[in-house]
Amino acid sequence: MDNNLAFERLVRPHFDRLYRLAWRLTGAKAEAEDLFQELLIKAFGKLDDLVEIDEPGSWLCRVMYNLFIDERRRFARRRMHMVEEGQLAGDGLAGLPGNDNPLHDNERLEKLRHLDAALAQLSDEHRVVVLLHDTEGYKLTEIQALTGVPVGTVKSRLHRARARLREILLADGTIS
Amino acid sequence: MHNEDIDKQDQEIQALLKDYPMPAADAGFYDQALVRATHEGSRRQRNKWLLTGFGAAIAATIAVWMIGGMLLTSPQLPDAGSVIPGVTVALEEPRTVNLVFASATALDSATLTVTLPDGIELNGFPGQREITWETSLNEGRNLLPLTLIALTPTGGELLARLEHKDRDRTFRLRVDVT
Repeated sequence: MDNNLAFERLVRPHFDRLYRLAWRLTGAKAEAEDLFQELLIKAFGKLDDLVEIDEPGSWLCRVMYNLFIDERRRFARRRMHMVEEGQLAGDGLAGLPGNDNPLHDNERLEKLRHLDAALAQLSDEHRVVVLLHDTEGYKLTEIQALTGVPVGTVKSRLHRARARLREILLADGTIS
Repeated sequence: MHNEDIDKQDQEIQALLKDYPMPAADAGFYDQALVRATHEGSRRQRNKWLLTGFGAAIAATIAVWMIGGMLLTSPQLPDAGSVIPGVTVALEEPRTVNLVFASATALDSATLTVTLPDGIELNGFPGQREITWETSLNEGRNLLPLTLIALTPTGGELLARLEHKDRDRTFRLRVDVT
């Protein structure tokens, strides 16, 4: 079979999951797309290995996470400063399914914007864990498999991330 | 604060996190990403065969050395301002240029600003002429890979401005387009 076709058949079923992961890791469209792209390029170079892997989706997620960490080690805190407002997760705010009550929608959007800003104040380790667990519904063991961090550490990061979010959101009046 | 207050706040946060949105990929993004991956992946594999050894691997990209004079103690090092290195990129073909910053000491909270000439974009930042971010520099050499894409054949001068506390230094890179 043609290499390109074989590659596509292996990776395409996982695209949505990988794109979501890229978004949650980076928090910005441009960076998520770059990460997604870099993963595919790397994976294509490992096609011989990829065909032998039982769960290519999980493998691809791990490789993506490692690519993300490598990049972060090179430029700590880059995300917070490179991302412009229009590229933040708020990109998706306009597309939120709303109801017919504009006041309610505005309040909700405002709260989500505050959440967005609060998440940006967390360290990468805390932000990623809380988003994967509380937003994406990953289990602790799945986060362990993805990040290579022991479950105990994942739990501790989750606890601290939530506590910090509570502190920030209380201070800015988002929650009371 | 009472435990029930904390529980209520946590529930609110949980509800917000569950709602935290994420847009779907643009139409056609997956297809384009696949095409680029197979194209770029094949190119890298060819390079892998052609280029062996560490030295050859380095030659695979253009390393533009920018010596941060302000950060170095040796006064006889070349002044980056007097030499403008150049790079040639093909129209609409991404090309990675590695900028190397040498620092005598580790620096926290340095600010790096890249200003692009008209018609040149940084991959992943369409339409942005100036990109700024805060970064840390390690003692020694610090690599900054920039993937440039020329959208017009004009070319020009790329500026990379490094600031730390009250000191700053601007480096220039001439970008020609073929």
